[in-house]
Amino acid sequence: MELDDASLAIGRIERALSRIEKALAERPAAAATALPAAEQSALQREVTAVIGELDRLIAEAKHG
Amino acid sequence: MADVKLTIAGRPYDVHCADGQEAQLVQLAALVDAKARGVQGGTEVRQLLFAALMLADETHEAQNKAGSAEPQLDSLRAAVALAESREAAAQDELRAAKAEARAAAAREQAALAEVEKLRQGAPVVPAAPAPAHDRALLQIADRIEALAAKVEQMA
Repeated sequence: MELDDASLAIGRIERALSRIEKALAERPAAAATALPAAEQSALQREVTAVIGELDRLIAEAKHG
Repeated sequence: MADVKLTIAGRPYDVHCADGQEAQLVQLAALVDAKARGVQGGTEVRQLLFAALMLADETHEAQNKAGSAEPQLDSLRAAVALAESREAAAQDELRAAKAEARAAAAREQAALAEVEKLRQGAPVVPAAPAPAHDRALLQIADRIEALAAKVEQMA
């Protein structure tokens, strides 16, 4: 993959994060507990996993 | 012993000498005869006396020359010894320089070999992990987009 492709992937990530941020900002306070506990837990695990994956990539990029 | 007939100042002489020295004796007698014949007038004894004096004078002069040449010979010998000493030192320096040059060449060869080894061993594309990073970035993009979709559905 060329540098442009990497930039495109980063652009996709930024746009997805903006969508999440926007959805969470527009979300009614009552809806916070509407999600089933299992699904909410899975969502948290996925968010944690993605953040961990991003941290790993950033660390690798920093250390060459 | 050998018998030799000599003629000096017109008079013949029978003399003896060691075998093999006849020619030298004849040659010396010729010198004496020449000196004696060079003296004009006078008796034969006087001619021989002057011949002997002239030969003694030449011998003395030759000895003086040899004596005066001795210091020069000493100087020459000292100069030769000094030159030989300097040549030996120069040879030593040359040997040392050659050894140093050989060592430097060996070091250069080793360095070149090391560089070549590093060049061969080094990855041609240093950014080898980049594709893996890019794949990971794509996967993260996919996962975050899925998360975004999920969060949007929740909202």
